[in-house]
Formats: sequence, C-alpha cells, structure tokens
Amino acid sequence: MDLDLTPDQAGLLDALGKLSAPFATQPAGAAQDFLVSTELDDRLTVSGFRDVANVDGMGVLDAVLLTEVVAALPYVTEFAASAIVAPKLGIQAGRPTVLIRQPLDAPVRFLTGAGTALIEDGNDVRIMDLTGQEVEALSAPFGYPLGRLRSAALGGDRIAGAAPALRQWWHIALAVEIGAVARAAVELTVQYVKDRRQFGRTIGSYQAVQHRLSECSVAVEAIRQLTRRAAATEDLEDALIAASYAKEACARIIYDTQQFHGAIGVTYEYPLHLWTYRLRLLQGELGSFADTASALAEVRWG
Amino acid sequence: MDWSWSDEHRAFRRKIRGVLEKHLPADWEAKSKLDTSSAYVSRFSREFCPILAREGLLIPHWPKEFGGGGLDAFHHWILGEEMFAVGEPRSYQYMNVNWVGPAILRYGTEAQKREHIGRIAAGTHIWCQGFSEPSAGSDLASLTTRAERMIGGYVIDGMKIWTSGASLADYCFMLARTGGTRHEGISVFLVPMEPSGIAARPIPNLMGEFSLHETVFDRVEVPEGARLGEEGQGWSIVRQVMHNERIGQPRYTLSMRALDRAVARLKDTGKFGGQSVRADAGRAHAALVAAQSLALKVIDGRAKGHPADAMTSVARYALVVADRQVADFLGAYLTDDLMSAADPLISAAYRRTGSTGIAAGAAEIQLNLVARDHLHLPKN
Repeated sequence: MDLDLTPDQAGLLDALGKLSAPFATQPAGAAQDFLVSTELDDRLTVSGFRDVANVDGMGVLDAVLLTEVVAALPYVTEFAASAIVAPKLGIQAGRPTVLIRQPLDAPVRFLTGAGTALIEDGNDVRIMDLTGQEVEALSAPFGYPLGRLRSAALGGDRIAGAAPALRQWWHIALAVEIGAVARAAVELTVQYVKDRRQFGRTIGSYQAVQHRLSECSVAVEAIRQLTRRAAATEDLEDALIAASYAKEACARIIYDTQQFHGAIGVTYEYPLHLWTYRLRLLQGELGSFADTASALAEVRWG
Repeated sequence: MDWSWSDEHRAFRRKIRGVLEKHLPADWEAKSKLDTSSAYVSRFSREFCPILAREGLLIPHWPKEFGGGGLDAFHHWILGEEMFAVGEPRSYQYMNVNWVGPAILRYGTEAQKREHIGRIAAGTHIWCQGFSEPSAGSDLASLTTRAERMIGGYVIDGMKIWTSGASLADYCFMLARTGGTRHEGISVFLVPMEPSGIAARPIPNLMGEFSLHETVFDRVEVPEGARLGEEGQGWSIVRQVMHNERIGQPRYTLSMRALDRAVARLKDTGKFGGQSVRADAGRAHAALVAAQSLALKVIDGRAKGHPADAMTSVARYALVVADRQVADFLGAYLTDDLMSAADPLISAAYRRTGSTGIAAGAAEIQLNLVARDHLHLPKN
C-alpha cells in the first residue's frame, strides 16, 4: 500500500502538464457550448499519452492519472476511452475512441466521423472504423461534441466475450472523467467565492457557502481515491463503486457550483458551464445513478 | 502508487482474525451486543487485551523500545479495522493504544512513562477522555474546569460531560484550565479515577450502556507529576490527539458487516428485489468504501511520517456520511428487525452510526476545517 505518485508518475504528469498548458485557459470571449482543439488532440496522439497503458512498466492506473488532467481542461478531447478502455480490450487505440451501446444510432459524445468505435454487442464487442461513416451532428447544451451514426450497419471485428470488460472499464473511465470535471468546477467556484464580495465581505466567508463547498470537496476527493483504487485492483465491484459514487455526486456539484456563481455561471463568457454541462451529461451516461448502484448491488450481493 | 496489501499486511490481518476466532466467545454478539461501552465488554477487555499483548497485537505500531512491534501505521489501521468490525472487544482500551499512550510517550516525563506505559502495554487498565464540558462542546477552548496550583500539585474543580466509559475507567486523560481564557491556558492532566472528589454518573442514552457520563471533579487533589507537558501546552497536545482520534476508529467495518447482514436478511425474506432497495444498498456500500479509501489516504500519510493535514477532516466527514447512509438504510428497510432486536449486529450498527457525526468533533466542525485548511476559504 502506497498511495502517493511514483517518481515516474510524477514525471509523466509533469510532461502532460507542459503539453496541455496552452489549453488550460479559455480563450477570451468564447461563446459556445464547448471548446475543441485539433492541435490538442494531435499532440495527445503524437506524444503517445493515449497509449500509456500499453507501455512497458506502465499501466492503466497511469492512464487514469493522465485522464484526471486531460478531462479537467476547458477544452474537451476524447481521452478516457482511448487511454483507459481500449487498452484493456487489447486494442492499440492511438486515436480517438467512441464507446457505443446499442441502439447503434444512439447519441454519443465525440462522434464526429473519425477514429474508432467500440460497440457493445451482446456479450461481445465490435471494433468499427468510423472513417467514412455518415454522422449526424447533434446540438445540445452538454459541453461535448455530440453525434449519432446514420444508417450504419453493425460491423467491424468482433472481440468475443469482451463486453463485460468494456462495461467495467467504461464505468471507471466515466468515473474518472466525472471526478476531473467536478474538481475543475469546484476549484473554479472556490476561487470565485474568494473573490466575489457582497454585503462587504467575500461570499466564501459565509458558513452556508463554506459547508456546501466542503461537502463538494469531500466528494471530489473520494472520487479520486475510488477511481484510482478501481484502476489498481481491476475489480468489477470497485469499478461500480467508483461509478455509482461519482454519479450520485454530480447533482450536488452541478447545483452548488452553479448556485454560488449566481447569474455569471450560466453565461457563455464565463467558463463554469464548460464543466457543469459536461457533468449533466456524464451523470446519465451508462444509465442513471440508481441503475449503477443497482448493478453494484448485483455484483456484491447477487 | 500501490493499492494492494503486502504479504506482511495480509498475514497480520489473518493473525488478528485467528486470535479473534479463538478468544471471542461463540455467543459474543449476543453477550456483548457489540457495545464498546458495556460493563460486559469492559470486563472482557481486561482479559482480552492481555491476550493481545502476548500475541504482539496490542501495541504493534508502537516503537520497539516501548514494548511495541515497531510496525507501520497500516498495521495499526488493519488492527483497528478487524477490532471495530466485531464491535471493539478492546472496549475503551482502543484509546489507550491509539492516542493516550502515544501522547504520554511524546510529552510525558520518565516517571509518567514508568507509571502508565507498562500498564497500557499490558492491557489491564482503561482510560477515559475528559474533554467536553456542559458549556464547551464543539467550542472546546472555552472549557472552564480549573486546575489551581497548590503546594506540590493542583486542585481540580469542574464538570466534564459525555465522558465515555468514565465509570469503568482507571484513569482520565483530561483538560483543565491553569490560566488564560482560551487555548493558551489549557493543560493536560492524567488523573486516577479513584481519589475522593470524582463522581462519574452514567447518563442513560441511546448509544451504549456506559458510553456517556457526567463527571464531576470536586476539589480533586493531584500531584504536580499528574500534569502532562507544560502548563498551557494542552491545546497543542490535544490538537495532535484529535487528528489521531478523528481517523482513529475504522467505524466503516462494523457498518459494512451490518449492511451485508441486512441485505442477507432482506434476501431471505424476498425483500431485496426492487430497484430502490438495491440502489440504496449500493449507495451505502459505495459511501463506506469511499470512507475507507479516504481513511487509507490519511494512514498512508501517517505511515510516511507526514504531519496530519486537512485530509483527516475530509475522511472523517466521508465516514459520517457513510454511517448515516447505513443508518438510513437500516431504518428504512429493516424496521421489523430493529423493532424486534432480532439481530445484535444490525441493532448495534443502527445505534452506533447515530453518534458518528457527533463524536470526535461534530460533522459541521469537520466542514469548517475542510473549508479553512483544505479549500483555504476566508474566515467567517
């Protein structure tokens, strides 16, 4: 048992920090539901960060640590699925990866007509090349590029019996993303309440604000430990624990971070929405909190 | 980063389970009612702790020079997990080994170490903690119990309240005011519970048989050698102690066993089929594992000798939330069992989880500390 980063992990995060630094702030006046950057996507691919789980001496826990950073950036980029999920299915991803549950034309994040889709197909997983697939872009305020496949037929190589692994690592990847996005939202809010003054004092000095933000912070710290634990133990129960805990925390964090910002928090000019509207989508991916908690109950107690 | 237990840690847990298996009576749950504060468990601890001492399981985490095993903080935590899971058969002696003894080792004179450490290490004496007072609960620094200087020692006057195990204890680790008005005038005293002038009256309560007392100190004379540390050093000693106490009892292990048993009973009676009961059970279990994972993060820091930080309060609050969710689950779905007291474990967990948000500093105080020390929010 040693819950600190190893020197290698610290070095890896340092390198990622340098790579992602230009994308750690929002460009002025960006008035849109989400920010994307092909340069960031390319840098992550070329640098090999997406493939860290396949590197000798490294593993999926390292991919989780990287995802904690990438998923918290104001720019959205597909990373969790390619860095965490694909390697656990034995796939050299190296490129953006989309995770799809049937029906095939369900709306999904990051579906833009490039990269690879991993599709749950009964007990198997299909690997579909998305190049040339017809994609309908969807517009909804969820902080991610959204799309759905149009008139695609289920195809691609089949990995027999891989669906349980897909679901397990998808739950972990999702929980890591929730943890990262929630942490960014809470940190932004903590800074805001330290600066914003009303009635002659900072609003962060009010106990009503402090207690709720502290509760959000406890949840964020717990998600970090639970997701790292789930990646390290590779245990299905731990994966569902992390996912159900993270999903349950979303509602509180969305509400409180938005609430303490007041009206500025729902403007495009201020970046909070980049995280809160991601959380709104993530809390329902792979089903509701109750679905995930029930799945956990099934694994633990039958 | 490594989330796995070493072979040594696993073997240590097996050894503890073996000792518990061998020495707890077959009807332990029924007899003890898993009540740390009961007269039965208190008596039992005076036989059981010497056994632990012989097995090297009473103070495995203490330095070897003081009779300990010199083992790391994770061994200490594993010991706590296994003991709390069965209702803490060490009774209040868990406090001796968690923080009373270590505080004496750190701040005590040679004479104090001679007087107390051997007894604690033998597992024969019980300590209680004299901190809270009727007007000094969460605001502990406002305590008014006085220790007035006299020739050769002090006279202590005042009242302590909510003292756990006071009527069972041999000694009290107590705070009294030797001067000043707030933190600066507080000192620690190690007071035998026998001298005339001490009256410990049990307060009937919903948590445990002797878990709460009103303890009156009426002109209790103690020698100078009963003071731990310097005059006025009490607050800094107690701050250190509180960090060890807040993440001192792995309460989630008892709650986890109770939740498992509750689900087993629901399944036996065909009441575990609906999504809401299953989701509520899953939610409570996830909260317990969250509390455990944060506690392990705190212990990891201890194992490396880092000073305690705000993660202690983060972990404590997570524990409060988890225990509350278990209590809510039991209350909502195990009503019949609770009414008929059908299962000592379920009844005990329901009773004990009720105090998690109060003991060792109210949950709201933990949130204040998270705000101040973890989020660095401005003073209110």
